[in-house]
Amino acid sequence: MTMKTGGRIRYADSIDPVTTDGRDVDTAIATLDGEGAQQRAHSDDEHLKRLAPAPWDRVPAITDTDTTYYDRPVLKPSVWSVDIPIYYFLGGTAGAALTMGASIQLLSPPGRHPMRRLSELCHWTGIIGSTAGAAFLIHDLGRPSRFLYMMRVFRPTSPMNMGAWILGGAAPTAIATGLFLNRGGVLGVLGEAAGYASGLFGAALAGYTGVLVSNSAIPIWQEARRWVPAMFVASSGSAAASVIAMFSSDERSCRAIRIFGTAARVAEIAATRQVERAASAIPKVAEPLRRGRPAILWKAASTLTLASLAFSLAPIRGRKKTIAAGLLGAAGSLCLRFAVHYLSNASARDPRASFHQQRARTAEQHRLQEHDYAG
Amino acid sequence: MEPVLTAAEARVLEHKAAQEDTANRSGRKGFFTDTTLCIGCKACEVACKQWNQLPDDGLLFTGMSYDNTVTLGASTWRHVAFIERPVALSNQDAGAFSWLFSSDVCKHCVRAGCLESCPTGAIVRTEFDSVYVQPDICNGCGYCVVNCPFGVIDRREGDGRAWKCTLCYDRLKENMEPACAKACPTDSIKFGDLEELRETATARVARLHEQGVGEAYLYGADAASQPGTEGLNAFFLLVDKPEAYNLPPDPVVPTRKVKDAWMSFALATVGMMAVAVGSVLVSERMRP
Repeated sequence: MTMKTGGRIRYADSIDPVTTDGRDVDTAIATLDGEGAQQRAHSDDEHLKRLAPAPWDRVPAITDTDTTYYDRPVLKPSVWSVDIPIYYFLGGTAGAALTMGASIQLLSPPGRHPMRRLSELCHWTGIIGSTAGAAFLIHDLGRPSRFLYMMRVFRPTSPMNMGAWILGGAAPTAIATGLFLNRGGVLGVLGEAAGYASGLFGAALAGYTGVLVSNSAIPIWQEARRWVPAMFVASSGSAAASVIAMFSSDERSCRAIRIFGTAARVAEIAATRQVERAASAIPKVAEPLRRGRPAILWKAASTLTLASLAFSLAPIRGRKKTIAAGLLGAAGSLCLRFAVHYLSNASARDPRASFHQQRARTAEQHRLQEHDYAG
Repeated sequence: MEPVLTAAEARVLEHKAAQEDTANRSGRKGFFTDTTLCIGCKACEVACKQWNQLPDDGLLFTGMSYDNTVTLGASTWRHVAFIERPVALSNQDAGAFSWLFSSDVCKHCVRAGCLESCPTGAIVRTEFDSVYVQPDICNGCGYCVVNCPFGVIDRREGDGRAWKCTLCYDRLKENMEPACAKACPTDSIKFGDLEELRETATARVARLHEQGVGEAYLYGADAASQPGTEGLNAFFLLVDKPEAYNLPPDPVVPTRKVKDAWMSFALATVGMMAVAVGSVLVSERMRP
């Protein structure tokens, strides 16, 4: 097909198809074996959309105090799609549920103990969350067929590599628990052991994503790195309690889950405030928390969690209340993960956030050094 | 008459020769980009694209001086920045204006954020001390993209893998200098052994100071001046703040500070386990 623009044939369409991938290499006389020769180059429009500068909201100017390069970002925004915040939510929920499941297992004897029903519910939440989460995670990869390459190395410097091992431990042990726990004989013993293992992997699964987010050049998470993992753990706990509470019916199970959920929700709200406080040390870094769509999500998350907390503690009885509290809690946690995702990109797009943060750090070091000399 | 070797002896000799060859063609190599010599011709960008057979990025008109390349990316491994300033350089008499050019490139950091965060081990350090992404290993997770404090590495839409400057690994293996350095008409891009480059750079700064360009300084030449990355294997001579060139003033490889995050993770995780056990115990006690 020949595309015409204004009666003229586009250059790209006028030349031989083998050369229209933007390389202008005539494969009749040259071979494609350069370092970048294997880079697939279709969907140029998508590429251009990412590259094209947005119209300036004010004319960039070089000033002594606040220099940037035409307001262009200094960092690259993440290439992750919404698969990733969904994974944070599913993986986190599964992780916290597995921890809860193992705790119940530890404190109630095997067999027909009523609490064992609750632990089964926890384990199945873990199974569904971790396998569905893994599917989202794999879907987001640029080369999904190479997912297992994550496990060709063991690299503690990469939280994502650690996460692959954690998820690779949590999902199979959760499945083994779901299948074999509360069975007799050798299988039952295997199920018991798998349950404890899944509890440990699950605890790590609930929060490693917080470390993953903190370990980035993005200014807002650099600044708040001491609180982001705690926020993730708490949010996972809140989501797990929300989901499990909606499906548990007996008095004692509900009580246990409500206590766990209340602690998690309070912790989530507290950790969220701490993240905000830490980021606010540099006003420019905290800006995405106050303005724009990510800020709306961020505030909505806390509001939903708070509402869930109020519902679950309200002195009314009934399933409707439990369901309302559960839905609000899960929505709050999901909202928080999406807020993190969009805040990352907002923060990465602002060169001043990086510059101010790094200048403040340098100034602080100088101040300390001068203090040393004076002392 | 040539001595007759057994197969084993021949193998030993061959191995030795290969080792010597590797020794000759390795060692710490890098770039010294002297921005005061750059004339903004973009020959480095073109040479890079041609040698590495990289696809184009489409055509854009940005209005940012003569910079329509915009930024480094998956298929752009050299990028010339054009800085128009309302101030003159100290030794120039051209009114309140100066035009700075700088050819940006992957810094091949001594401690590289992309390499340390890569979960598959696709990103490796080569015998030339450069940082190299193996395209046959990379699974396109995109974690390196957010871990580069310079915003260099990127994933190309449609390709799905992360790409960046290879320091022309294929050319180095053949004892050739990288395409950009070879093409640079003013020798603004210098390639060589890092130690020699540092000496050249220090001498150049001294010379510029003598000539009255007091603002000249080296960016990322060693660990002392840039502790966050422990120095850059591709460093620069600049005459304005790093920010003017879109370079971070004090970049830090994220893994240097991740201990705080793991600590928070550990405390919170233990806390959650305690709460989980506690909630089961308390619910037992609270039996009405």
